[in-house]
Amino acid sequence: MINQITLKELSFGYDDSLGLVLKNISLDFPKSGFTSIVGPNGSGKSTLLKLISGVLKSRQGSIQINGIDNMAIHKKEAAKIMSVVPQNTALEFDYKVMDVVLMGRYPYISRLRGETPKDREIAIENMKYTNTYHFRERSFNQLSGGERQRVILAQALTQQPKILLLDEPISHLDLQHQIEIMSLIKKLSIDQQLTVIAVLHDLNIAAAYSDYIVMMKDGEINSQGTPVEALNVQNIKNVFNIDVEVEVSVYTNKPYIYAITRNEIKKNHVKVHVICGGGSGSEIISNLYNTGFQVSAGVLSIGDLDWKISKDLDLKLAEDIPFTRISEDAYEANKRLAEAADFIVLTDLYIGKANLCNLRMLLENELENKTIFILGDETFEQRDITEGAATGFYNRIKSKKNTRIVSRDEMYSILNKAGASNE
Amino acid sequence: MNNTIKNYSIFIILLAGLVIAIIMAVGFGAVRIPAAEFIDILFRGIQTEHSTILLQIRLPRVLLCLVIGAGLAAVGTVMQGIFKNPLVDSYTLGMSSGAALGAVISIVTGISFSIGGVSTTGVFAFIGAVSTLFLVYNLAKRKNAMSVNSLLLAGVAVSYFLSAIISFLMLLNQDNLQHIVFWTMGSLSLTSWSKVVISYIIIIPGILALLFYARELNILTMGDESAQYLGIDVEKLKRVLLVICCIIVGAVVSVSGTIGFLGLVAPHIIRLIAGSDNKKVIPYSALLGAVLLIASDTVGRTIIQPVEIPVGVMTSIMGGPFFIFLLRKQR
Repeated sequence: MINQITLKELSFGYDDSLGLVLKNISLDFPKSGFTSIVGPNGSGKSTLLKLISGVLKSRQGSIQINGIDNMAIHKKEAAKIMSVVPQNTALEFDYKVMDVVLMGRYPYISRLRGETPKDREIAIENMKYTNTYHFRERSFNQLSGGERQRVILAQALTQQPKILLLDEPISHLDLQHQIEIMSLIKKLSIDQQLTVIAVLHDLNIAAAYSDYIVMMKDGEINSQGTPVEALNVQNIKNVFNIDVEVEVSVYTNKPYIYAITRNEIKKNHVKVHVICGGGSGSEIISNLYNTGFQVSAGVLSIGDLDWKISKDLDLKLAEDIPFTRISEDAYEANKRLAEAADFIVLTDLYIGKANLCNLRMLLENELENKTIFILGDETFEQRDITEGAATGFYNRIKSKKNTRIVSRDEMYSILNKAGASNE
Repeated sequence: MNNTIKNYSIFIILLAGLVIAIIMAVGFGAVRIPAAEFIDILFRGIQTEHSTILLQIRLPRVLLCLVIGAGLAAVGTVMQGIFKNPLVDSYTLGMSSGAALGAVISIVTGISFSIGGVSTTGVFAFIGAVSTLFLVYNLAKRKNAMSVNSLLLAGVAVSYFLSAIISFLMLLNQDNLQHIVFWTMGSLSLTSWSKVVISYIIIIPGILALLFYARELNILTMGDESAQYLGIDVEKLKRVLLVICCIIVGAVVSVSGTIGFLGLVAPHIIRLIAGSDNKKVIPYSALLGAVLLIASDTVGRTIIQPVEIPVGVMTSIMGGPFFIFLLRKQR
């Protein structure tokens, strides 16, 4: 693969007394494709972009564009290869949209001849592409933020670049315009085979549109890779110092990041063991976990939705491979967790031959005095797919003295009381 | 097509305005010279009793006004473009005061030499303009970033300081008082054909050189950084343009003293009617500047005869309120 932009051991500081803003950065940007640079404020991502564009000069290391040092390229030639869309643009003196877009032809226009019909043609083509042609006669400063960014994008494309640099191009826009501009840029990177490098604030937008992510912290590259590789829980915690949940969409294989406020959770010492599976326990597990209970679960099939959540939350867990009868080991592990718990919850899971022994376990002598909450009693018959084998166990569990048939709300309210008195 | 018609009409109106202003300026004064006689003297070579007044006094003065007005307006346009602010011109940045101080120093010290036909005063005025601009620019600049507010403040402060030095020099040199007052107030009463010729030789090519950079100046309005992205070597461009501006201002001040606000007003009016494209704003402003200066000078020397109001006083009386209007509008 040919690399269009290559950074080698690049370091930079604005002021000697203030230390380095970028430290020893080496990076290859692949030819064509969408790369996002993300990171907290002050991590050096905009500085990196300014160095690549040649506005700032590097002190150490090199930046090569197609094998040539970027400072050795004449400004006009550089403008033919690379264009830049800044955060936002306001003009002190007002110009018509058409004139602003035509400025993009500057590197191609000879001083004496002026612009040719071909220059206008290219400008018009790009205005149509960015959906700005219909307001070509309006003055730039009267446009909305989103329209302006589209005009600036049209101007950048009129330079007919191979590389498009964007410095937080959407941070002043509302959601609709953010999506509009990002979709347009993504389309460009595919249609025109552009190398797009964007500094972005919003991790989810970066994840949704990028082919490649570079995550920076304190002037260094912390991690890089595809969105799924780079934007994982641990990397984000390292870089942004926040707890997040990352959900990878099964449709797009793109991660989606949620910020969570786990620090505010008041922990208590009440242990709850949840017998679940097939997604029947997910909500209960996360609710109990997020209100401070010490939650365990079992026996769960590996890859099951409840299993995944328990893993994500790092819970104590009895697990087994799917589609087989629960093994002796898993059964024992489940029993131990149940014994250790203060409360046991039996969710409205489907009972088949494979997980039948989850019910049997509840009748063990060791659990004689445990409080067991049964959820979804009214639907049990539909969930019993053992042709009646489960019903015997189930009725015996129901008849135990400490078993309580409850709704979810009732269960939460009893548990919360227990939790509050045991913080 | 509509735009082309509009452009031509603006140009023709400005040109007509200039012709009318010249005729009025030549005609009005202590002695009235009717247009018919003006044509007789100028184009038919007929000698009348007013020939000397016309050819030796009024005509050179009007022609000098023309080129000075055009020069100041073109410089104002370009400086507003460079600093991306409509409140900037050679006067508000202290360049004119600097040029005046240079001229005054050459007068009081009596240093006299000649470089390539340019008078000592002219050279000193140029040096004054350049060093003032340099000083103001660096005062306003902080860590590579420069706000226009600090630029204007620095300009005003330096202007005051230089004016105070000029006043001080006046106090010490009572003999040259009349001469110095001329520089500080801006006056065209001591015009000669040689001044006219030198001014045209310097200022007209200067304006054309500025016009040469109109496209770059347009792009500069996008911001310095964006202009670089579009392929302009911004620092070099600014240096070139500012040097040309200094040469023009130096030439203007050395023949007329400081004339305020003209460079501020003319481009602004033109932008209101013709838009911001500097390919138009520079030449149109130059034309308008010429018309305005000829008109101000004519009013100044005729309104309370026999007292002549210096043209710098006239333009400031008219330009000051306009400046305040712009300032308030900007908020």
